[in-house]
Amino acid sequence: MTTSPPSLYQPVPCDIVSVSDLTPDEKLFRVIRSDGAPLGHLPGQFLQISLPGWGEAPISVASSPTRGNSFELGVRRVGSLTSELHRRGAGKRIGIRGPFGRPFDLLFLGGQDLLLISGGCGLAPLRSLIQYCQDRAEEFGSVTILHGAKNPDHLLFKNEISSWESTARFACGLTVDDTAPGGCYDGNLGQVTSLIPPLQLDPLRTVAIIVGPPVMYRSVIHELERKGLHAGRIVVSLERQMQCGVGKCGHCSIEHLLCCKDGPVFLLSEIEHLRGAL
Amino acid sequence: MKALSDGQLLHFFKCLEKDWEVRLPVTLPDGTRTLGSLKDGPIALLGGSLPAKPTGAFFPQEEEIFRLSERELRLPLPPERPLFVAGFTSRDLASLLFIDRFFADDPKDDLYFRRRQSALVAAVTGWCGPGGSFIKMTSKGCDLELLRDERGWLLLSHSEAGRQATQELPEGDDPLRLERFVAASASQSNDDELLLSQAAELLRADLVPDSFWNEIGDRCILCTGCNLVCPTCTCFGIRDWRSASGVERIRMWDSCQLEGFMREAGGHNPLGSEALRSRRRIHHKLAADLMRWGEISCFLCGRCDATCPTGIGIVSVMKEMVARHGGPANQRSR
Repeated sequence: MTTSPPSLYQPVPCDIVSVSDLTPDEKLFRVIRSDGAPLGHLPGQFLQISLPGWGEAPISVASSPTRGNSFELGVRRVGSLTSELHRRGAGKRIGIRGPFGRPFDLLFLGGQDLLLISGGCGLAPLRSLIQYCQDRAEEFGSVTILHGAKNPDHLLFKNEISSWESTARFACGLTVDDTAPGGCYDGNLGQVTSLIPPLQLDPLRTVAIIVGPPVMYRSVIHELERKGLHAGRIVVSLERQMQCGVGKCGHCSIEHLLCCKDGPVFLLSEIEHLRGAL
Repeated sequence: MKALSDGQLLHFFKCLEKDWEVRLPVTLPDGTRTLGSLKDGPIALLGGSLPAKPTGAFFPQEEEIFRLSERELRLPLPPERPLFVAGFTSRDLASLLFIDRFFADDPKDDLYFRRRQSALVAAVTGWCGPGGSFIKMTSKGCDLELLRDERGWLLLSHSEAGRQATQELPEGDDPLRLERFVAASASQSNDDELLLSQAAELLRADLVPDSFWNEIGDRCILCTGCNLVCPTCTCFGIRDWRSASGVERIRMWDSCQLEGFMREAGGHNPLGSEALRSRRRIHHKLAADLMRWGEISCFLCGRCDATCPTGIGIVSVMKEMVARHGGPANQRSR
């Protein structure tokens, strides 16, 4: 690919290093820029994945910048671009633009107890922060990870959960909406909100971060408020149809805010009064 | 100040073609009055605002982002000659300045400024509106101003580029002629300016009920004309076209009135009803842009009202909104 003249909309070539199955619908891609340069991202940011002929799609970075120059993307197969991406294996080339968007505020999170709540593939962007907290554990208080999936087969990063649980001051809670008859799952049943009431948390030193499907946010926020957390201590990462990633195309506007540029990470207090935000 | 006849002005445009890609109002063979080149049809400077948005000269309906063939990616070449675009009214220029700010905001949109950066912009004002009506003078946002009266044209330069382009033209020798334009401009008023601020205040204070948007949404037929003609609408989609020679990635205007505008891959749609989409169109111009950019992004050009087949252009909606839900004065008396 040519490198000049530079354009905001020109993808950077990258190579797929490896691909692994996460669930029947999700794969994890390890990718590196073809020039070997670091991605330069922070947890919570996203990329526009570019497959010429199929277009672009916003995908969150699922790995921490503390883990080297390569990076990982957890991708659910939901449309033509992600289906094509799922067909590509190690050694294939893709394009990226980014990283884009406001990341998690690591200064704000520093020293706090973190309650990370995800549903479905919302765990992928949180994994970037989870790895960051593992690698810089001294910068944070306790880290509690709550994750809900529709069934045991769709629990993300199952192989890594034991590593997270064994990290000092980390705890995990998993739940599924449903189980297959005859399956061997013996964990929690129910929505991720059901994991919140039993928690012991200090609302003055806890920050909750929610990433998941839109339907999840209000019920999770309701449970957190019952625990005494106010909107200035609840962080949400919102999903929108971000086509350009740079605040120009208009598809991800939330009233006067642009999710791709002002977000996707917001304090709840910044967006709770905006129509259509949640 | 330069003074030209119709013939001299045509000659001026022809001379400009040596160094500029000239776009100005012309009449196409099918009768359409639009921006075009001198080859496309006779000049049509008279008649007021063009039906299509002149800001489309810099943000076209469709433009190439890159072309990829045999693993070689090619960005579009910059224009061979800079653009000279005539045909802006003062309201069009206010719109142009707004989208200049929008596309210049970090990160700067290089596709937009590929055309805009070196362009020469000319306003057309004076007694050149529909039926010879007066169009207000302007100096903001243009390099040149073409002022029409019964004797022909005056040309005013508002930038160094404008002065250079017109330096060889004959000087005007009647200062009183320009004063008539100034006096006529000073006497112009527009009641819709007040309406604009009243409607914006209603939206900002969230005093417009959902039932209002349900009614407006029911009247929308999703033709998208409002967005397509609006000089401050900047939304676009990115699409890939595959062919035997490779892939072309383009961006093209999109419309917030379409059902799929915000629908996400997972199926969630924050604008899942015509009511929400109609509210978004109006709220975005009058309230959201006011918060984000410090100014309302409707400059009352009138195009959406002229285009909408069901009468829900922005001025029509504002009138109905203010009449039914009250301006600030009405709210105080409640």
